[in-house]
Amino acid sequence: MPELSKNAPPPPPESSHPPPRLPNWPLENSPPPPSSKLSGLLNELLYIGISLAGTRPNMAERICRALRDGALEGEHAPALTIKDSIQSPFGSMVFDHVLSQLSSFIVAQKSQSQGIVLVAFSRGPLCYEELFESKGNDVASSNKWIRVLDCCTDPLGWRSKLMESGRIANFTLGTSTTASLYKNVKDLDKLLLAITELGKELVGDGKGRFVVAIDSVSEMLRHTSISSVAGLLSNLRSHDQVSCLFWLLHSDIHETKAIAALEYLSSTQASAVPITRPVNGQRGNSEKLPFLEQNLRGGKIHVRFKRRNGRVRLMSEEFCIEQSGIKFTPISSEAEMIAQSLVPKVQFNLQLSEKERNDRAKVVLPFEHQGKGKTIQIYDGRKSLNEDKPEMQYNSVEKVQTVKDSGRGEIIYFRDSDDEMPDSDEDPDDDLDI
Amino acid sequence: MVMEDPEAPHHMLLIRNFMSQGLVHKQPLLYASPAKDPRGFLGTLPSPMFSKDEKSRDRDAEQEKGLRIAWQYKKYFGEQNSEFQRDGKSEYCNDFDLRKPLERHFYSGQQIDCISLQDSADLTTFQDCCSSFLSQTSRNDRNITCAGRIAIQSLGAPQCDFSDKECDMLSFIRSLKSTIRSSNAVAVITFPPSLVSPAFSKRLQHLADTLVSVKAIPDEDKELAKLLTGYQDMVGLLSVHKVARINTQVPTILEATTFSMKLQKRRSLILECLNQAPVDGSTGSSYASSGSCSGSSKTGSLDF
Repeated sequence: MPELSKNAPPPPPESSHPPPRLPNWPLENSPPPPSSKLSGLLNELLYIGISLAGTRPNMAERICRALRDGALEGEHAPALTIKDSIQSPFGSMVFDHVLSQLSSFIVAQKSQSQGIVLVAFSRGPLCYEELFESKGNDVASSNKWIRVLDCCTDPLGWRSKLMESGRIANFTLGTSTTASLYKNVKDLDKLLLAITELGKELVGDGKGRFVVAIDSVSEMLRHTSISSVAGLLSNLRSHDQVSCLFWLLHSDIHETKAIAALEYLSSTQASAVPITRPVNGQRGNSEKLPFLEQNLRGGKIHVRFKRRNGRVRLMSEEFCIEQSGIKFTPISSEAEMIAQSLVPKVQFNLQLSEKERNDRAKVVLPFEHQGKGKTIQIYDGRKSLNEDKPEMQYNSVEKVQTVKDSGRGEIIYFRDSDDEMPDSDEDPDDDLDI
Repeated sequence: MVMEDPEAPHHMLLIRNFMSQGLVHKQPLLYASPAKDPRGFLGTLPSPMFSKDEKSRDRDAEQEKGLRIAWQYKKYFGEQNSEFQRDGKSEYCNDFDLRKPLERHFYSGQQIDCISLQDSADLTTFQDCCSSFLSQTSRNDRNITCAGRIAIQSLGAPQCDFSDKECDMLSFIRSLKSTIRSSNAVAVITFPPSLVSPAFSKRLQHLADTLVSVKAIPDEDKELAKLLTGYQDMVGLLSVHKVARINTQVPTILEATTFSMKLQKRRSLILECLNQAPVDGSTGSSYASSGSCSGSSKTGSLDF
């Protein structure tokens, strides 16, 4: 999605109003203005410092840092799409990794944002509490930095209706103090309002910013159309107080158009793919098993990162699933690296190989074999010279036929020079003196 | 029409230049986009760049009285703000400084209509807005300030409710095209071909008078760096597919159809023909270096 300015005040329609106050000037394709440049510079220095210390951040860390650094003033918030499929169903683990990393940055106050609003569609709030506990995040003070919008427990409000009518017993959701129940997932306008209200609850109304994490956009698409979801995501990106957002998508259960729309709206895409793809049913099951086992334990992640200057950075890494979570490592073999270029490569080879030179020397030019007693055959480039029925394509066929009629005419072809290389640039008219 | 690349915002550069040019020449402007608040985009329009004026101002400080260049006299009579006017006539401006926002006085007194396409269920209301906008630009008036500009960004973007109603969008474009033909206006429309059906994309391409596309380039691609000169400064590629042929049978044959988009000193957008050199695959030696065609043992970026 192209970056647009979101907080430039509109100029007045009539000249009687005072002129508008134009914002600081961050544009895509231009460096950031001095005020935010300093924080960017500090981040760069931090990055360089860590690089010099020998611990080069891996690709996953770079993505998390890009999200952590958030949006420049007047710019759309960066958005990450995490995609997976049934062949490599680890999207939720990548999501958890990014979530816990951002939480750490926020708690340590090293992030542009001061809080996270987690829109939970596929897992309940208690799941996330356990996740934060296992990662060592500070759960006790979690109400200071996270709010969970629970769209998982009762997304359409059916439970509430049944409870109200007394058909099922009341139940308590759990002791999560950070969760708010949301019961109307079909209405995305209200969902947007709920998200922004939770965010303001966390960071206040002023210049504070928050992160929005959507557990699964696939779940959202079950209830609403792609245009409503796209509208919600676009509005979140252009909201003044949203620092960044990221969401999970299961790419194999949606139409291509929906996936293309979500990719269009995101500034980074991370796709989890299997390391080795199974061969198309040719091999027996016994040979497939090692591949399947390998893909159950890990995979590869391909990232497309849309930079501010309009270029696209492609990166790849391997990951493996361990007890403690997901671990990222650089690609093991160079041959596995997929280097995809967005522009098709063009190469002009103006030299001839030995075989090509020999073949060219064997080509018999038209009219060179006239009058040697052989039947006249016009080589039109499509059939071999030995065929009995040549296709008469050239207009000169009339002249050639005269050889059979003995004496009406013939074409005598003299080469300019036997030494002359075919296709040479020598102009035979060079010696004309006009 | 501009075909967008979903991975790069280069079409925004073209739209910005188009809109700025309209405001600088005091032409009425209509801007529509899928954003909730399209007016905010006006704050990102670039300021016109008048390099000659800048140099002349420097020279002024250095020169003594009585030794002034004749054409500079105008500066002492006219307003300081409207430097772009010389000899009483408005000067056309094609260069814009992307690092500097358009000054406030260019907005005042201007007709600028901004329309959001996000919440519209269909294009009827927008079509009416365009018709009423175009009715103000009369064909008979020769003044350039009467020419209207319509900029529609990302028609068919997924956040618009009508994005799946392709027939409606086609009818809209057809009616807009016919209205524009009979009025003193131009329109620039960008759309994302990767998000619409191929048939619709083709139809839009055929409807366009002038058709260009923008494309992203990969970052830190060593092979591309060897293949193209000036790769470091490039931000993208622009291809011209069709040029308007209104009231003429003679086609425009361009010398080049693919241009590289560069930001000169990170300020202004420039389009350059691609310098693409043949690569000798067999011997490994390069054909040329720095403009000459002589063979040399230096391998590197090639330039003819």
